[in-house]
Amino acid sequence: MKIIFSLLMFFGLTFAGDATIEVIKKVDALPSLAIEDSSISYDDTFKLQFFKSLVADLNVISLFNVDRFHRTTHFNDTDVIVENKDMNYVLRYKMFEDDSGALNVAIKVLEESQEVFAKSYKVSRQDIYMFVSHAIAYDINEYMGEPSVEWMKRKVIFSRITGAKQSEIVISDYSLAYQHVMVKGGFNLFPKWANYEQNAFYYTSLDGLKPTLKHVDMKTVKVSSIISSDGMLVCSDVSRDAKTLLLTMAKNGQPDIYTYNVDTKKYKRETVYGGIDVNAQFMDKNKIIFISSRLGYPNVFSKRLDTKEVEQMVYYGKSNSACSSNGEYIVYKARESSNAFDKNTFNLHLISMKTDFIRRLTATGVNEFPRFSRDGDAILFIKNYKNQSSIGIIRLNHNKNYLFPLKYGKVQSMDW
Amino acid sequence: MKSIVLSSVVTALLVFSGCSSKEPAVDTESKKAPVEEVVAQEVEAVETETVAAAESMVESSSNSLGELSMSDIEAQLSSVFFAFDKFDLNTQMQEKVTAAAELGKTGGSAYNVKLEGNCDEWGSDEYNFALGLKRAVAVKDALVAEGIDSSRISMVSYGESNPSCSDKTSECYAKNRRVDFKLLP
Repeated sequence: MKIIFSLLMFFGLTFAGDATIEVIKKVDALPSLAIEDSSISYDDTFKLQFFKSLVADLNVISLFNVDRFHRTTHFNDTDVIVENKDMNYVLRYKMFEDDSGALNVAIKVLEESQEVFAKSYKVSRQDIYMFVSHAIAYDINEYMGEPSVEWMKRKVIFSRITGAKQSEIVISDYSLAYQHVMVKGGFNLFPKWANYEQNAFYYTSLDGLKPTLKHVDMKTVKVSSIISSDGMLVCSDVSRDAKTLLLTMAKNGQPDIYTYNVDTKKYKRETVYGGIDVNAQFMDKNKIIFISSRLGYPNVFSKRLDTKEVEQMVYYGKSNSACSSNGEYIVYKARESSNAFDKNTFNLHLISMKTDFIRRLTATGVNEFPRFSRDGDAILFIKNYKNQSSIGIIRLNHNKNYLFPLKYGKVQSMDW
Repeated sequence: MKSIVLSSVVTALLVFSGCSSKEPAVDTESKKAPVEEVVAQEVEAVETETVAAAESMVESSSNSLGELSMSDIEAQLSSVFFAFDKFDLNTQMQEKVTAAAELGKTGGSAYNVKLEGNCDEWGSDEYNFALGLKRAVAVKDALVAEGIDSSRISMVSYGESNPSCSDKTSECYAKNRRVDFKLLP
């Protein structure tokens, strides 16, 4: 009995903190949080809009059981609203418009009627309120001492298919509440941030004779052509120092992976397999992960950039056609049915290079384009299900997925 | 209190900086106008490139009497279809390519051809694009084997982004797994 117990303990300790093992947290176990609105300015529609955004953001940080009732009170009342007296936490906020038309928000967090956290925010325009909401959720997460949700403040860039050979490139917040069309008209796909600061991006233009990689500097709104290739050209990844691009190009119709040096403007072919090599991502400065058909079906492989050695990374699934990696973890897209005449399901799976566990992250529809956040805390992905295209966020350590549906069109690819 | 004020200022700056870099042109009260300003620049660049095809149509109609016009020939070139997740040609499709090659050697000998590879809707990732490209390569190889000079052939893949049919049926998916012929002057 002791042996079994110690074995259990051993496994428990060995695999504690492994994200491939499902973390089951009971909803009841989360502390409750209610939100009280003390806003002075603005109409009821906007007040409710902001409230909803705050509820959504606080749900995504996955730390609270968030109460969804919109209740109002005075900001300086010492007691919480009577309905909220049993809540573990109360977030009270006040929105007001100043003389310059800027949106000001003051917040305080109450725990057992005691103020434990306070902060104020200001943005120049009312219509970018969602960034205040994200910042509040970010700060409360920090206050609670949880791992950072830095990704919440990052911008998402995506291409939206609006018709045959018609698309637009859109910049948004992670929840798609704010959307700004950057490139409209024509056929432009595969946008990719050009640097960590997110002030420039690359995309593929398919309007000319050959697919061409373009670069857009958002400060000057200057568009420049980088490189062209017959067949296909995609910027799959940008190195952390923004100096090296991983491209899929198809000189003579042969899709292979190339590195491209931004300073010298020289490219180098990294894979030479006669089938399909695509979707390269940096694992570190000298190692990439990519999708190849070298087994007769698409699967995930890795390669060092300084040697020719190629290693198979995934041993489960017969059609794994997209991937992303972070540290020891790899998330990949696997086809779970192979049917030419019916609906197909594609799910995302997570594996750890240190253990043999595989964790399925999605359940229905076509789930693709997984992208780890830089800190590995979350995975952004595209979900197409029942004619609805959405961007999803997977909180790995909380075992929760959140979906943000697109109002029109279909997401083709994205980056954050 | 000082630290709260300070951190508030820092947060405000963060929020500001986050927003200002995101929307290079948005700095007036109006939301729409600056958006269109950025958009306008892009549209111009893109549209000038697409004009090429239309221009070529004009040229082709002024061709010598013995040759068919580009649109006449294009109408005779029917798309080549592929099986699910495949990029090899079956006998029936091989016959289509042979017929296309024959046209390329006779009435269409003055033109180059762009092969556009397409896929069904199961996936928008790079692999799907590569699959579309491999389909175009299969048609190119067959055309070259039939005696068409490879320098006359260019290729592009549109992945799943250029469907000819948008219903959710197997017939429709099959129609989208294709290679189209587009003539160039």
